[in-house]
Amino acid sequence: MTQMQPILVARDIRKAFGANQVLKGVSLAVARGEVVTLIGASGSGKSTFLRCLNLLELPQQGELAIGAHHFAFGDGHRDPDKAHLALLRRDVGMVFQHFNLFPHMSVLDNVIEGPVQVKNIARAEAKDLGRDLLAKVGLADKADSFPSRLSGGQKQRVAIARALAMKPDVMLFDEVTSALDPELVSEVLAVIRNLAAEGMTMILVTHEMAFAADVSNRVGFMSEGVMAEIGAATDVIHRPQNPRLVAFLNRFHQRTGAGAP
Amino acid sequence: MYAWDFAALKPYWGLIWQGLGVTVLYTVITVLAGLAIGLAAGILRTTAPRWVSVPVRGYIEVFRCTPLLVQLVWVYYALPVLIGVDMSATSACFLTLSLYAGSFYAEIFRGGIEAIDRGQWEAGHAIGMREGRIFRRIILPQAIQVMVPSLINQTIMQLKNTSLVSTVAVGDLLYQGSVITAASYRPLEVYTTIAVLYFVVLFPLTLVADQLEQRLGAHR
Repeated sequence: MTQMQPILVARDIRKAFGANQVLKGVSLAVARGEVVTLIGASGSGKSTFLRCLNLLELPQQGELAIGAHHFAFGDGHRDPDKAHLALLRRDVGMVFQHFNLFPHMSVLDNVIEGPVQVKNIARAEAKDLGRDLLAKVGLADKADSFPSRLSGGQKQRVAIARALAMKPDVMLFDEVTSALDPELVSEVLAVIRNLAAEGMTMILVTHEMAFAADVSNRVGFMSEGVMAEIGAATDVIHRPQNPRLVAFLNRFHQRTGAGAP
Repeated sequence: MYAWDFAALKPYWGLIWQGLGVTVLYTVITVLAGLAIGLAAGILRTTAPRWVSVPVRGYIEVFRCTPLLVQLVWVYYALPVLIGVDMSATSACFLTLSLYAGSFYAEIFRGGIEAIDRGQWEAGHAIGMREGRIFRRIILPQAIQVMVPSLINQTIMQLKNTSLVSTVAVGDLLYQGSVITAASYRPLEVYTTIAVLYFVVLFPLTLVADQLEQRLGAHR
């Protein structure tokens, strides 16, 4: 897979919040159809890096190329204009930890908001698309419900459908199961697993280690603002090299009672 | 024991209705103007760069932190001297009441906008929407739900505040009341009647507000 032309290339991404250097030069290339999971302790910069990939955070340094979009930061480059940012984000879907559904709109209206407002697709056509996507995430019967009537797992599946409705080239998942009750995690992971099987290019930030090992082509371990280790999922999770990754996985397995790797 | 005689007001009912009409007219116009000013000022205060948001804040605080009566008198008597333009009592009242209402509405709009979770902006951005569209489609509809009670409350205050225009001889309900009192020597009956009229106009508004609040919050 990695021999293909990458659809996403991030090069030497640097980002600081005030004096806090969160990203100290992170690079990543992702092939079309590849699933890459980022793991790491909180504060390691993995979520910030993910948010740099659709430019919800603007890096202070580095380059980002996704499909036909190209951005360069720092070294005298001006910040990209808002129109260009909006164009990038049409092609890069994102799902958030806290769903961020639009509470004043029905489930179906949430899903078709992007196609109708941003892509100017006719409402009737968008509704067909929306219903198909809701069926795909197992929520065909909830089209007319409001988000407040849904469980966390259902909300997150709607959020996935909303992102898919833009027909993105790449999907970003930012700890999408972290806010869910444990018994609701699997229904969301099942949807992501199906997307992976369909060949969707995805970058995930997650604490679901077993899922990461299972669904990802590659796993990257971020620590203190750098990509400390990245490689085939089974190698990184079961045969970790970096001492900080070993310590991280040990802490993780102690916490979950899953035993040492 | 005081002998109430509301019949003594009979010859003056024409004046009372006229005054009530003026009060309602001033309220409607200055509420609409105030909402427009307040929405603009509220948005500018939250989203504009500092060289805009700081002066806007200045306007809001000047009008919030000085008495309306002082503002009215100042705009009517002092402003014409400063800018050399004669202003009728009517225009001075419309201008002052609109700016006064606008300053309070602005803070309500600002509060409502800022109460909406940042994640809503991000979700809009993430599907490729631009700021203006996110504001219109996502933020404002939710903010209005939060704001309805405060907006209604401020509007009720605004109707009562119009009574201050009587001080610059605009013929509103209160002004007509004082005129009738001078002619009939029946202040208790006159001011009781006027109080009842203010109440009769405003109380139904609070009921509408309750309804509206429930309907807007139906999906919560």
